[in-house]
Amino acid sequence: MSKLIVRAIDLSKVYRRGKVNVPALNNVNLQVSSGEIVGIMGPSGSGKTTLLNIIGGLDKPTLGKIFVDGVDITSLNEKDLADYRLKKVGFVFQFYNLIPILTALENVEIPLALMGAPKDERRERALNLLRMVGLENRADHKPDELSGGEQQRVAIARALANNPSIVLADEPTGDLDSKSAMAFMKIVRDLNRRNDQTFIIVTHDPLVVEQCTKIYTIRDGRIESA
Amino acid sequence: MFSWSLAVRNLKRRRLRTALTASGIVVGISMMFILLSLVSGMETQARSLARALGGADITVSNSTSFRDRMGGGGFFGALPSPSTLDASIAETISGIPGVYAVSPQFSLSGSINGRRVTVYGVEPASYEIVTGGLNIVEGRFLSENGDGEIVMGKALMDFLNLTLGQTVSLSAGQEEEGRIFTVVGVFETGMIFQEYAGYVTLADAQNITGEHGLLTQILVKCEDPSIVSDVASLISSTVPDVRVTTPTATIQQASQMLNTLTMFFATIGLVALFAGSFGVINTMIMSITERTREIGVLKAIGAKNHDIMKIFLVESLLIGLIGGGVGVAVGSILAYVFPMLTSGLFAAGASPFGMRNPFSSAVNPGLGGRAASTIMFATPAITPLNIAICFSLGALVGILAGLYPAWRASRMKPVEALRHV
Ligand SMILES: Nc1ncnc2c1ncn2[C@@H]1O[C@H](COP(=O)(O)OP(=O)(O)OP(=O)(O)O)[C@@H](O)[C@H]1O
Ligand SMILES: [Mg+2]
Repeated sequence: MSKLIVRAIDLSKVYRRGKVNVPALNNVNLQVSSGEIVGIMGPSGSGKTTLLNIIGGLDKPTLGKIFVDGVDITSLNEKDLADYRLKKVGFVFQFYNLIPILTALENVEIPLALMGAPKDERRERALNLLRMVGLENRADHKPDELSGGEQQRVAIARALANNPSIVLADEPTGDLDSKSAMAFMKIVRDLNRRNDQTFIIVTHDPLVVEQCTKIYTIRDGRIESA
Repeated sequence: MFSWSLAVRNLKRRRLRTALTASGIVVGISMMFILLSLVSGMETQARSLARALGGADITVSNSTSFRDRMGGGGFFGALPSPSTLDASIAETISGIPGVYAVSPQFSLSGSINGRRVTVYGVEPASYEIVTGGLNIVEGRFLSENGDGEIVMGKALMDFLNLTLGQTVSLSAGQEEEGRIFTVVGVFETGMIFQEYAGYVTLADAQNITGEHGLLTQILVKCEDPSIVSDVASLISSTVPDVRVTTPTATIQQASQMLNTLTMFFATIGLVALFAGSFGVINTMIMSITERTREIGVLKAIGAKNHDIMKIFLVESLLIGLIGGGVGVAVGSILAYVFPMLTSGLFAAGASPFGMRNPFSSAVNPGLGGRAASTIMFATPAITPLNIAICFSLGALVGILAGLYPAWRASRMKPVEALRHV
């Protein structure tokens, strides 16, 4: 079996809302091997986004540890976490979250610019990524000139810009029609096969689920089935 | 990096807001710019004034300044005639240790071809020794026995439409009939009010009023510039009832006044800039709130706190630069219009000598008063340095005002920023 890329040990997350404690994750243990496409399902409020954010280094667990590529990311400081997100993780959101005043190409360039890549190199790589998602002829379009499906394809190109080892997607097809959702998943499959990239996808969408190599279900902050 | 294109496009997207915010800075910067231009103009004039006054090391005059207080008509009118001293005082002063040479002077408020001007009666030889002489641009200075000769200022020549060699009628009072003088020379000082004057021999000047043996000023040159103030106090203590003026002291007083003025306008300008910077802070906080989600996305992608900080600092810096640029432009126009406004005042009949300004009391009447008046009506000078200063000031205000909002943006928690709708 291939090596473990994510290993979460006894993760708990409790949010404080005023004086009330809101438990979001409860003793979650999760292992993801490199090259998997993991689907995470569960009812609303069960803790899916919370888990994804902790894996992605956007949030910290209240208790427990999580190793990604052998590094305990709960021990990282703010700056190192940002670096971890920049180099190891790619994010895809439900509502694409492209920067509205930047073109498709420029949006894909952001992570490369944050890495300090020279302009020519950045352009070329961003164009290649857009070509890969079939949008090279829309490079100079602003997000509001693109359809939802196209925007999500730009978003995945952006997530992949720095060649991350894991890509995290939170309901990436939640706002797409089935044709666009299928196109999106085809890209995920291709990348997964070609680059051995690991995907963790929170979803309700059967179209997505059938492409996953593994499915977990979360209920009330606990992982239920494997 | 992309912070510049982000900033430029965000500012363009909200043109009106950008313009309004920048205009807050424009007010302050244009005030600072006109202030700096005025100060530069004043400095130039103060320097030429120093040169003009620098002729004699010490001027001795009667301690009661003026005989009559009628003054002159119009802007370039003559000073009132000064009180007199006995000519024997010149002898006394020339005997004081440290005095190199003295030159007696008799000045009066007279009229040339009906135009009231200041007339100076001098001894040509000693005058040249003590003051270094006038800056003659045409003809020559008075000859040693140059009775009936007159040397006149360029501005006055132009005003009276005269040329070298012509004759003029000079009288002490308002009477039409005066004595006839021949223009033998024309001088320039660079300051128009000083050029509304004529120089004749001491004897001629005394004859005009009939005050033989009397002087109005005694100009003194010291053996060494370093002993001027010592010699001045020696004169004060030796000769009773005289006013002893040293041009350096006058210039010092004038520059003190200049400092007061500068502080005054600088305070106003700074207050305006301070107010403008609050507009920038407000706008930046507004745009950061609007773009909270964007900040969350950038952080999720891997932007560090300083990356976020930079994006917003560049934006407020640009607002500051726009404000600085437009402020300089507006200030330049004001600096250009300013002399026209003040000359409009003169045309309306206000005399700078008769005008009460709050600073004149701090300065001696006579030369000091003239210095003060000149400086009050200085022409603003637009210099590259001032432009650079104002640009940088705009940039500085932009950065300082953007600091807190940018810091707040950089400290946002990515998860919370992403949840923001
Ligand atoms: N920042 C927060 N502050 C307080 N409570 C929070 C916060 N984030 C999440 N929660 C709570 O934690 C629980 C889990 O939230 P989470 O967003 O992980 O659920 P989810 O499974 O992603 O739901 P959905 O399918 O609706 O997106 C919920 O009860 C939610 O209200
Ligand atoms: Mg969620």
